[in-house]
Amino acid sequence: MATTAAERQADRHAGWDGRDSFGRLVLAEWTKLRSVPRWAMAMLAAVVLTVLVSVLAASGNIYGGGGPGFPVGPDGSGVRDSFYFVHQPLTGDGSVTAKVLSQTGVEGESHEWAKAGVIIKESTKPGSQYAAMMITPGHGVRLQSNFTTDRAGSEATTAPRWLRLTRSGTSVTGYESADGANWAQVGTVQLPALPRRVEVGLLVASPPALKVERQFGSGSVGIFPTSSTARFGDVAVTAAQPGRPAPWSDQAIGGPERVPESLLGSATRAGGVFTVTGSGDIGPNPQDVDGVRASLTGVPLGVVVIIAVAVLFITSEYRQGLIRTTFAASPRRGRVLAAKAIVVAATTFVVGLVASFASVLIALPILRSNGLAPPVFQVPSLWDGPVLRAITGTAAVLALLAVLGLAAGAILRRSPGAIVVVVVPLLIPQLIAGALPLAAARWLMLVTPAAGFSIQQTTVQRYFVSSICLPEDGCFTTGPWVGFGVLCAYTAVALAAGLWLLRRRDV
Amino acid sequence: MSATTEPPAAAVGCGRGHTLGHALHAEWTKLRTVPSTPWLVLAAVAFTVAASAALTASVDTSLCPSPLECHEDTTKLSLGGVQFGQLAVVALAVLAITGEYGTGTIQTTLAARPHRAAVLLTKAAVVTATVLAAGTLGVLGSLAAGRAILPGNGFTAADGYPPLSLADGPTLRAAAGTVLYLGLVALLGVGVGTAVRDSAGAIVTVLALLYVFPMIAMFVTDPPWHERLVKLAPMTAGLMIQATRDLERLPLRPWAGLAVLAAYAGAAMLLGLVLFAARDA
Repeated sequence: MATTAAERQADRHAGWDGRDSFGRLVLAEWTKLRSVPRWAMAMLAAVVLTVLVSVLAASGNIYGGGGPGFPVGPDGSGVRDSFYFVHQPLTGDGSVTAKVLSQTGVEGESHEWAKAGVIIKESTKPGSQYAAMMITPGHGVRLQSNFTTDRAGSEATTAPRWLRLTRSGTSVTGYESADGANWAQVGTVQLPALPRRVEVGLLVASPPALKVERQFGSGSVGIFPTSSTARFGDVAVTAAQPGRPAPWSDQAIGGPERVPESLLGSATRAGGVFTVTGSGDIGPNPQDVDGVRASLTGVPLGVVVIIAVAVLFITSEYRQGLIRTTFAASPRRGRVLAAKAIVVAATTFVVGLVASFASVLIALPILRSNGLAPPVFQVPSLWDGPVLRAITGTAAVLALLAVLGLAAGAILRRSPGAIVVVVVPLLIPQLIAGALPLAAARWLMLVTPAAGFSIQQTTVQRYFVSSICLPEDGCFTTGPWVGFGVLCAYTAVALAAGLWLLRRRDV
Repeated sequence: MSATTEPPAAAVGCGRGHTLGHALHAEWTKLRTVPSTPWLVLAAVAFTVAASAALTASVDTSLCPSPLECHEDTTKLSLGGVQFGQLAVVALAVLAITGEYGTGTIQTTLAARPHRAAVLLTKAAVVTATVLAAGTLGVLGSLAAGRAILPGNGFTAADGYPPLSLADGPTLRAAAGTVLYLGLVALLGVGVGTAVRDSAGAIVTVLALLYVFPMIAMFVTDPPWHERLVKLAPMTAGLMIQATRDLERLPLRPWAGLAVLAAYAGAAMLLGLVLFAARDA
């Protein structure tokens, strides 16, 4: 019953325009969808199951860590603040200058974000405000402040390098120089609550290395502390209001990482050269648990039900022969498929929005009371941008998957096959990712429709802090949008293929 | 499923002469003449072998502290493709019964052979036997692929990974157990299919049981709850039969794990039998 070009021509000229308007077609499809009580029940079940499983899973999760000594940064969130600090007090405006003579890793390669440089810090208390100029083996000269700001200087990664910080009121300016004569400004940062008396001096830190290992059939991330040694020459602290030169003192600033005794660091001074060894890191506490994703655990269950309804929306017409009536009433098959796609996408979007919103609304507070709370974990509020993106994104993913199911149904014309080909590439990658090497798992989670769930990611991976990012935990190095685009591409291709076959084939 | 099913073969030798042989023959004829059956059997074997080979090829010893410290269960790794292959088994088993409801053949079947429990049990027997045969091929193919791939990825005999062999007790148990696993999945499919009577609903139910259940377990990080869910999920529990080393790390013994799946399959069959006998066709 393929529509010939002549027939289509005839449709266009005949008096179809009133009755065959696209709006009426959408309305007809909506009537078909809503008038099957089983499907309405299935949609309702999808919402209930999603919320129920999300809430139950949230109640079963306990999060630990932190404790009373956990350092908290100026903005109230948990931070890492451990390094070796050679310091003296500075009152009022002034500057600190040093020439980094060398920077080497202790035992093997140095960490790409190992830090050696000069720092102005509110006090020696972990979590207090700071601004620092440093060189790093992998990322050149950096100006960092208050745990979350990172600004790149030159790409010089090799010592010697001159670094300088100048304080003027609440602003601190960083400079670098290759020769100690020609200085280039890297940037200025504002430290609004900086007291008059601060500690200034040298910093050496080396973040723990994360190494992915495989044992007992699954990948695991090992955390290994590293340490590095830097030599500084021409160290000078100049105060705007000259006073008695203060003596140097040195100490390992503590942090949450239990740095082994042997790696706590040390400082020696011989002639004008300081040799400082330190371990640890300065930066935000990496967010390894995504609270929003953890409160959307039930979505994979709901999605299976929704995909089944979307598939049946077309395959049941084939089984009952209703498709012949449908195409007789509206011979332009592309428009029928488009109307079906719009109806099923809009319906599942609304259903998905209700389910994901309710899940986060109920499960997030449960997770919070189970220990997923500041300072160790940053738990966003429901109205934060990333959270709203995750919620509406989940609904959009469900709508896309419904359209994918519809397209698969149009291609295969049988429900079992269509359900299997949509559900399996969606669920299996997430199930087996943990048993695969990290690179293979990341690749699998990027090239299958499962990539769409990356939209649920709300934690921010800061490039200057190494964090554990496992795809099976919902952490995508590519960010929230790339995977969503992959799912869009799958849906578009399937819909195009369905359209082509629908036009080409007999019903 | 198109209505290409022939009238039940039992009708040929009709009258009172219903023997078990006739019944089995009738069910076998119905199963083999549906166009999807050979494809699904082929898919079950091909998916299992291909996915097993791909999984095995993706893992090598370079990520381990040392090959010996990998503690990789090479038998289990080589049989991992069953997680994909079972899909075709689910589809085959569910369609064997829901297809009859979809086309109305069920009425003919029951007219020819009114003893409903016997109808369902012979159908289950035929489907399970077919799946066991396909499963044996899939498992042997997977092991052969594993045997060929593993040494190239660093799992050599010198590092404590002897080549996979059915002469090794645990490997034989894992291989035979995996075939049984597929047979039990088939029974689960037939049972759920009979209870639900609709192919889409039945497939969704079985997929949710097999895949979504362990996925939820994965999200639950609280150790006791996680372990409880892993023990209760039919797929994760059943696949414990594939473990050949570090058995003390498993939440369940291999055969106990398979028994969990058997309980699901038994419950589904029982539910199917009760509903099949109680309901109008």
